[in-house]
Amino acid sequence: MEGPTGELEDRSLRPLTGEFWAAVNRGELVRPVCNDCGQSFFVPQFACPRCQSTNWDYQPSIGRGRVYSHTTVHRPPTAAFTAPYVMADVDVEEGWHLLTWIVDCEPDHVEIGMPVRVRFVNGPDGHPLPAFAPAEAAR
Amino acid sequence: MSGTHPLHRVAIVGVAATEMARQLDTTSAEVSLRAALAALDDAGLGVADVDGVAARWPGPGGTVFQPGSADWAEVFGQPLRWVCDTYPQGVPGALDAAAAVAAGLCETALVFGGQAGVMGGSAVADYTRPDNEFIACWGSLTAAQFALVAQVYRHRYAPDPEQLAAIAAAIRNAGSTNPAAVMAGRGPYTAADVLASPMVAEPFRLLDLCLATEGAAAMVITTAERARDLAQAPVAILGGGSEWHRQQYVNPPRYDEVWGLGADAARRAFDLADLRPHDVDVFELYDINTYEVVRQFEMLGLCAEGEGAEYLWEAGIGTDGSHPLNTDGGLLSYSHIGWGGPTLKIVEAVRQLRGTAGPGQVPNAQVALVTGAGSGAQYHNVMVLGGG
Repeated sequence: MEGPTGELEDRSLRPLTGEFWAAVNRGELVRPVCNDCGQSFFVPQFACPRCQSTNWDYQPSIGRGRVYSHTTVHRPPTAAFTAPYVMADVDVEEGWHLLTWIVDCEPDHVEIGMPVRVRFVNGPDGHPLPAFAPAEAAR
Repeated sequence: MSGTHPLHRVAIVGVAATEMARQLDTTSAEVSLRAALAALDDAGLGVADVDGVAARWPGPGGTVFQPGSADWAEVFGQPLRWVCDTYPQGVPGALDAAAAVAAGLCETALVFGGQAGVMGGSAVADYTRPDNEFIACWGSLTAAQFALVAQVYRHRYAPDPEQLAAIAAAIRNAGSTNPAAVMAGRGPYTAADVLASPMVAEPFRLLDLCLATEGAAAMVITTAERARDLAQAPVAILGGGSEWHRQQYVNPPRYDEVWGLGADAARRAFDLADLRPHDVDVFELYDINTYEVVRQFEMLGLCAEGEGAEYLWEAGIGTDGSHPLNTDGGLLSYSHIGWGGPTLKIVEAVRQLRGTAGPGQVPNAQVALVTGAGSGAQYHNVMVLGGG
């Protein structure tokens, strides 16, 4: 992703979300967890959406979950993406969810409720992204 | 109407829409101005009568929010008593302006906006590509966000694809006969044509999805008292309401949270109007895609969850059906001008209630329902309008 001046921005330095991307760069999935009420949440917000506490930290995620919904995109928004690809909303076991891709699976075989595990893949800009793969196919 | 509720003391007295096209050779501010002046002309009013503006407004007191931001007080050559940096327009813009007029903050409010000179040659409009770091990296687009909702519906209820496609075909055929529509003269379309169009984001095919075009729309709202002396029969805001779930296109929309979005707003709107959804003569609903049309009839309680496609198949959505729908061709075929698109729904509803809607006119339309946005956008709004 390019910054305002056109140079390649270091996403691990972003305020609020840099730690998430730094973990992804190391091949780890983390999520914000409230230190006061224990709620996991995503996307990162300055305050916990359950108790409004600003006292939260990133903690490692188990990286397992289920497909809540999915759509196969045949017409990408920009030429940077190669269709088809499967976008999905994955419910992670700690009680949070995120938009992601389902990989290592034929698009027609992706199903709602399917168990999945995090699998890091490179995005169109070459940086790693936390995609998910069918749980039985993940290593 | 009782006349006691503040919203019942105001009226929509002028509407206008400019030429609509895939690309216009002008700017957002210019095309917005053209719509604004045309709406004033429609009302029999002039710029000097305007003391409130809901538009993109850089200040003082606003932010530069492109496209179409301009210092409208300077452009109109006079100070204003009320400004609103409304996003989106359509129902929220109308309700905000109506509340301001009803409260006496201004007497005559102009709500207007649109886009021009912003659509490049790319396959999808810039504004349909959410610019969020947890969304953009996955190659998301607006249609895909709505698709995540529709897929759960399809998984649970397995709606008949032909009944769904017939909805898109009917709306597009209304646009075919509307000379002002971007898709005028195209078609007629059958359900089979919709089902044969290329897949964009499952379950949506190209002909299930709205346009992204250029043009502008505007409306004038003033007091019911002032409305009596103006050029057009006033249109009453019988009821309205909004629901704001969360910021759009950041966290993916969840079927279980958003399929019923708008039900509470609709309940409040119809209570205020002392009417029921069955009393609506013409529906101008936000048709971002085919499933959203189905969703809104279910949300309104006109049929049960999961039964919308079959319900509309039997009820009929043409001008001769029991639920005439998107009589101008809607966002699918008439035009969708970005943040100004929601106002097009009000323009068509007002023309229906005046009896001047052209080929899509519903005979003796007395009550119109207008909606904006939807499940994938995570906000919804509803307005009931009445003629005379």
